[in-house]
Amino acid sequence: MKQSIIINGTKHEINVDSDMPLLWFLRDELEFTGTKFGCGKGLCGACTVHVNGQAIRSCITPVSTLVDKQITTIEGLSENGDHALQRAWLNNKVPQCGYCQAGQIMNAASLLAVNPAPTIEEIEASMQGNICRCGTYQRITKAISEAADTLSKEA
Amino acid sequence: MSNSTVSRRHFLKIVGVATGGLCISIALPGNVLAEKGIIEDSSTELNAFIHLDENGDTTIYCGRCEMGQGISTALPSAVADEMEADWQRVTVKQGDADEKFGPQATGGSASIRKMYLPMRKAGATAKLMLIAAAAKVWKTSPDNCYAQSHFVINKLNQQKLGFGELASIAKNMPIPDTVTLKKKSEFNYIGKELARHDQNEVVVGKRTYGVDTKMPGLKYAAMIHCPVLGGSIKSVDKTLALKMKGVTDVIEIPRFDVPFGSIGGVAVVADNTWTAQQAVEKLKVEWDLGENVVYNTKEYKQQLVANVEKPATLAKERGNVHRALKKSKHKHKATYTGGHLSHSPMEPNASVVWVQKDSCEVWASTQSPVDIQKVLGQYLKREPTDIVVHVAMAGGAFGRKFKCDYVHEAAVISEKTGVPIQLIWSREEDMRTGYYHSINAQHIEASMDEQGNVTGWLHRAAFPSIPSLFDPSLVRAPKGALSAISNHLFGVQSIRVESGDAKAHTRIGWYRAVNAIFYGFAFSTFADELAYKAGKDPLTFVNQLFDNNNKKKQKKDIKRIKAVLALVAEKSNWHNRENLPEGQGIGLAVHYSFKSFVAMAVHVEVKNDDIKVLNVDCAIDCGQILNIDGATAQMEGAVVMGMSLALTTEITFRDGAVVNSNFHDYPVMRIADMPNVRVHITDSDKSPTGLGEPGVAPFAPALSNAVFAASGKRYRDLPFKPMAV
Repeated sequence: MKQSIIINGTKHEINVDSDMPLLWFLRDELEFTGTKFGCGKGLCGACTVHVNGQAIRSCITPVSTLVDKQITTIEGLSENGDHALQRAWLNNKVPQCGYCQAGQIMNAASLLAVNPAPTIEEIEASMQGNICRCGTYQRITKAISEAADTLSKEA
Repeated sequence: MSNSTVSRRHFLKIVGVATGGLCISIALPGNVLAEKGIIEDSSTELNAFIHLDENGDTTIYCGRCEMGQGISTALPSAVADEMEADWQRVTVKQGDADEKFGPQATGGSASIRKMYLPMRKAGATAKLMLIAAAAKVWKTSPDNCYAQSHFVINKLNQQKLGFGELASIAKNMPIPDTVTLKKKSEFNYIGKELARHDQNEVVVGKRTYGVDTKMPGLKYAAMIHCPVLGGSIKSVDKTLALKMKGVTDVIEIPRFDVPFGSIGGVAVVADNTWTAQQAVEKLKVEWDLGENVVYNTKEYKQQLVANVEKPATLAKERGNVHRALKKSKHKHKATYTGGHLSHSPMEPNASVVWVQKDSCEVWASTQSPVDIQKVLGQYLKREPTDIVVHVAMAGGAFGRKFKCDYVHEAAVISEKTGVPIQLIWSREEDMRTGYYHSINAQHIEASMDEQGNVTGWLHRAAFPSIPSLFDPSLVRAPKGALSAISNHLFGVQSIRVESGDAKAHTRIGWYRAVNAIFYGFAFSTFADELAYKAGKDPLTFVNQLFDNNNKKKQKKDIKRIKAVLALVAEKSNWHNRENLPEGQGIGLAVHYSFKSFVAMAVHVEVKNDDIKVLNVDCAIDCGQILNIDGATAQMEGAVVMGMSLALTTEITFRDGAVVNSNFHDYPVMRIADMPNVRVHITDSDKSPTGLGEPGVAPFAPALSNAVFAASGKRYRDLPFKPMAV
């Protein structure tokens, strides 16, 4: 029987070389292009997705290690694109080119899931692996703080 | 500026609209007016930039390329403003390569400078035609009508007709000979904080970039280039690569010696990018590395320093600098250097090209679709206009994607395989075989009189220049590349500019802010050094330098540059800096480039040798602002890019090849180093100028000056803290 992987709630058969990183399975096989290729070495964070709720770098994670795991990509972070982080991103007009932002948001979502009220230092430490060449860092920090506040009020 | 009128012919000329100009497109007949038999035509178009649907949905095309700088929001919002369109009804689309959009090559911070008025006029023209259409329906004079928020309104009886209802009538209205533009007080969107038109798509992962292009039958390619510029392939052992499951082809791409052509390499074609990348690793390529194998940046930079610390080739002289230097008792000299930089946008070079017998279609992240048409036209021996280029959103570019070598390579592969090819460069190839900001050295010697007026300024610069791309035989930067020195706004009694020898051994390319990076660094750092030498407050000293500029044509610029400098001094609390804690300091710098004025005040804390940037105040005067949020974002980004190049990033060549390979050894700035950036915008009615680049130049010198103020240590070499690679 073929092995499978669950992406944004839907089961997908793994019909590729088991070494293929999740990034390329998502992008080239399933055509979920929201997850981006940046460095291929886990150095920039553009490819960040969740495995069982936790942020990982999909460019260095072979699909074979993810059998039956729950994967969440930016396309599946929220049903209507209204996760508190997505709202805060819009409110703070974070994106410039926007290419790294899916990875930034997914990484931030993973942080807030374990630390709902991070300090600025904790946000920076957690987001240190995500590069933005356009330089949106100031707004990213602000948006994460704002989303954390929103979530605490909504809780 | 406001209320200006333009002739129709002039409008068509500057907008680049083909004759006939206005075209409104309406998808379907059947709106209210059609039912009443008032309109007979169901298909119309307003002009090249505006398409209006019968239901009022409006598409505004952006002809300039978007790479994150926000141009596809700024320019269409100016169209919508003059048209009195409701932004909520507007969809922005990126225009394909087409001369009807006017010049599309996007660089030099020129989009707003060149296209602001044409875009407003396009919108104003559409508005007049919609008003004329309504007047016709109401059988009244256009003078009795006005447009507001997607409607034309009859002043006499408050009747309203929607833009969509009017579109097809408007199309048949004569194109107005002149348009009257709105007053600043009447703007709805210009000068406001409009969000980027596509940010909702970005946050849900639906915004697509060049790298995201998909289509049936698509094959994926990866490649390796000759590591040394000018080299070529000696032999390729393809055996192992071709054995891999999913690999369909291995293709040699010879060097194509035209500007922006491929430097040559070997590509693998496969069923997906991963397989192609893996197969590239299995290729055994022997290269003939060519003559640039001698290139070592460490030694080369030392040679540049030597070349500027001795007499060099005269570029320009005003007055007699040597006499001034000889006469003066108050002299200072310093040498500044900088390294190569890689643009390293987060989206590596990527495109899809499909070459067929009688067509060639391109989907690419690009800053210059025209150059793609030119290079592919040359390669395929077809007319440039036969190359169809769909301009994709670029995931960052910073000058890199002006050059279309990666598109040319995809075209070669597609031509040889007959299928659509997506070529994505690996990060390593992007960093190792790109175009680079030029390595550079400058030497300045200056003399002052007893009052601290600068009597002589000798300025030598040596750097392999961008013109070397087009003329590789150049042995030094041509005079034109040094004109920014003699045109600098400092007032000096005599100046001599010399160009030191610097032959290019790699491809030099525009990098965000280009030569302003090193000119800005040398001018503002040296001025700070001179101030201390003269025993003066740096701000007072720099203002004196500006005041001494007697050139009539620069008077207005002097006023503006001093104003932004004064603004950052005030906002950064410069005047109370003696109250800062031990180990902290503020440095100032100001630079005029790309027709915009930017000043920065950098506040640092220096502990031992660690530099922490706490605050950065930026003041800008770029004339009328189109979008306050966009301008602010450009400054925040300029600080981040300025900080990377000031502190850490440098591309190193050894034996002709780049040593760096990825973000671990090209350490661009990350979030923990982000200072608090505050942006102060000058309210101005002057013609707008661009902001993509001008913010980068003043950061590094302001940082050098701040570190000196805090610690007494002077940094003259960019980056201050290079990583050993």
